[in-house]
Amino acid sequence: MTEPGSEAPPEIAFTFDGQPIRARAGATLLQAWIAAGLPLTENVGCMGQGVCGACRVLVRRPGERLAGTALACEMQAEAGMQVSFVDHFPARRAHAYDLHALTDSWTALEQIDRVFPEARHCRHCGGCDHACPKGIAVQRMVTLAAEGQAFAAAALFDHCVLCNLCVAACPEHIDPAHLGQFVRRMTAALTLRPADLIARLREIEQGGQPIDPEAPGANPAAAPSP
Amino acid sequence: MTRPYPAALAAWRGAAPAPAVASPLPVPALLERFHPDRQHSAMVTLAVGSSAGQPCRAELAALLQADALVEDVDIAGAPVLEADVLVIGGGGAGCVAALTAARAGARVLLATKLRLGDSNTVMAEGGIQAAIGAEDSLQRHFEDTLRAGHFVADKALVAALVSDGPAAIRWLIQEGMSFDLAPGSDRMGGQLLRRKPGGATAARLLSYRDFTGLEMMRALREATLLQPGITLLDRHPALELLTDDRGRCAGAVLHDLAQGRPVLARAGATLLATGGAGRLHAAGFPTSNHYGATADGLVLAYRAGAALRDMDSLQYHPTGIAWPPHMTGALVSEAARASGAALVNGLGARFVDELATRDVVAAAILREIAEGRGIGRDGVEGVFLDTPGLEAREPGILAQRLVTLTHLAGRAGFDAAQEPFLVRPTLHYQNGGVAIDAAGRTAVPGLLCAGEVTGGLHGRNRMMGNALLELVVFGRRGGQAAAEDARGERPRSIGLNHLAEWRRGLIAQGLPLTRRTPILFPPYGNFDATADRGRAA
Repeated sequence: MTEPGSEAPPEIAFTFDGQPIRARAGATLLQAWIAAGLPLTENVGCMGQGVCGACRVLVRRPGERLAGTALACEMQAEAGMQVSFVDHFPARRAHAYDLHALTDSWTALEQIDRVFPEARHCRHCGGCDHACPKGIAVQRMVTLAAEGQAFAAAALFDHCVLCNLCVAACPEHIDPAHLGQFVRRMTAALTLRPADLIARLREIEQGGQPIDPEAPGANPAAAPSP
Repeated sequence: MTRPYPAALAAWRGAAPAPAVASPLPVPALLERFHPDRQHSAMVTLAVGSSAGQPCRAELAALLQADALVEDVDIAGAPVLEADVLVIGGGGAGCVAALTAARAGARVLLATKLRLGDSNTVMAEGGIQAAIGAEDSLQRHFEDTLRAGHFVADKALVAALVSDGPAAIRWLIQEGMSFDLAPGSDRMGGQLLRRKPGGATAARLLSYRDFTGLEMMRALREATLLQPGITLLDRHPALELLTDDRGRCAGAVLHDLAQGRPVLARAGATLLATGGAGRLHAAGFPTSNHYGATADGLVLAYRAGAALRDMDSLQYHPTGIAWPPHMTGALVSEAARASGAALVNGLGARFVDELATRDVVAAAILREIAEGRGIGRDGVEGVFLDTPGLEAREPGILAQRLVTLTHLAGRAGFDAAQEPFLVRPTLHYQNGGVAIDAAGRTAVPGLLCAGEVTGGLHGRNRMMGNALLELVVFGRRGGQAAAEDARGERPRSIGLNHLAEWRRGLIAQGLPLTRRTPILFPPYGNFDATADRGRAA
């Protein structure tokens, strides 16, 4: 990407999954991994948009005692960093529910309790908050959900990218990522009833929206006949 | 020639709001001269297979007209999994198809190359079309889609797409997906927020902020993980389809990446939902696509005998990030233009109707660059997307409605309310693909397709918002049809029966048998499926 004749950007050295890597300044961790010619068949997804949560890494900078989490496609490499991928794993236990069977919103709190009983046992260790690469107030969401404040809990998980790091971080097996999606899905499925959509669906069911494949607008205008 | 960034910035500031300059080139001439697909050296004519004689992007043709990765000896003794329906691909279309097939009573195997949900779906920003406005109609959606695709789309498929649109939105809400509401609207009895996508005659684009695909994929992923009857195989890309002695598709040879060994998945019906091909970087363009978009499904379906269509038509998203270079491939959502952001050249002038179809806008930008009105910064060229002008007209819109865009600017190190983006066309979508009928069936019995891997819906240019709709509508149709097909006669004498004839075809055309496909990962993934298979031995 450098302009011909321009100065080569400075290189920095760091460690990624045990490999010593040299990268150009400004490169993301993921770009640095690829540029080093290392195989990449997992822990990769949207390549920079920061929406898929696949490229989760632990990062420790020189002088830091603890490693933090990040997305490798978003974080730029820095000299002396120690980085390692966190492989994907599914939630340890399924918090099973059938969204279509949850029809009574009066019992939302009981439903949350029944599917995610661990949520009430949050010990407020803050592990989930530290683990989230998106800065979501995960622990607050768990508390709100356990209190039945479904909309407030759902709103906090608006920017969740499915990385599941909070699931790994939780010692109580609350599975916050899945609890967050549960309250989001429940609130949408139980309360979103747009009148315009419903009216159009009724119209279609009554045969009121026929399609004419040979209407003038369905063919090129004034096309010369062959 | 190209205007350097500081001079262009000064021109933009001086002229704001930028005056509109009518393009002196009529659309056909603009496309002919500046659209990347019209550069004839980019196309070759397919010599083998069901679509021999059709033009095809050279990069794709090289993968299509190649030999398979596996021989009989490679799969002898491989573990066998059985299912009614095998779904290959864990993005939006794959999840919808798997859910639908499982709810129709089928035992479903869902095999995905990376991780469930890793796909272009999760990256879709702008929205999903459905004709729900009182002033809108299914007919208008039908005609808009045909016109945007230059009237070469399959009308039966487009009619199915638009007719199922409103029901698809209801289905998504039932799966727990949220949608934006019109300002001041109530959740119950209110109106959905609607915007006009490029090339449309009505406001029809529904959205969830500017990460509609993420919101959709979150709901679909949870639904799929929780659905009884679906067995999920992460990190299991498909190497080749299995066929029986009558040419019926009978499942697929999967590659277990964790173990480095093949696994045979036998199924009564197989549905490919493998997405697109952006990671082939046609014509050297950067791509907005997901890492896994390497045309695997096209290669597999074509070798098994399915027909392809419109393989010479790719979509270049007009507003990919040009600067900074480390963010190449990222897109500024069309939602920005749909909301009113202008495109401005190095002279501070507008040069195209920002809401024209994507092929026209992309060609217009390439023309500005080619004719010296582009803007150069650190060795890359583009034009401005005037987000500060949008913010000035609608204060707060960037922070509230264009969240991903604002975040993107932050990562690039500037404030989108103060400085415009530097953008250029970026490879975004494969307009063509495997030919299907309205139920998602291909010409190969037992083989269905859904989502971006298919062709016929978008003609030669896809409208914004029709890809998310397509994956829901045809995921449901294909999943239902696959469950039905699996109840019919089962494949027999299963193996790689189709490969002998395929190889005869390659030899007859003098094509080499040295290249083996699909590639599974982009070249910079440094992966060799043949070598990886040896790892387990």
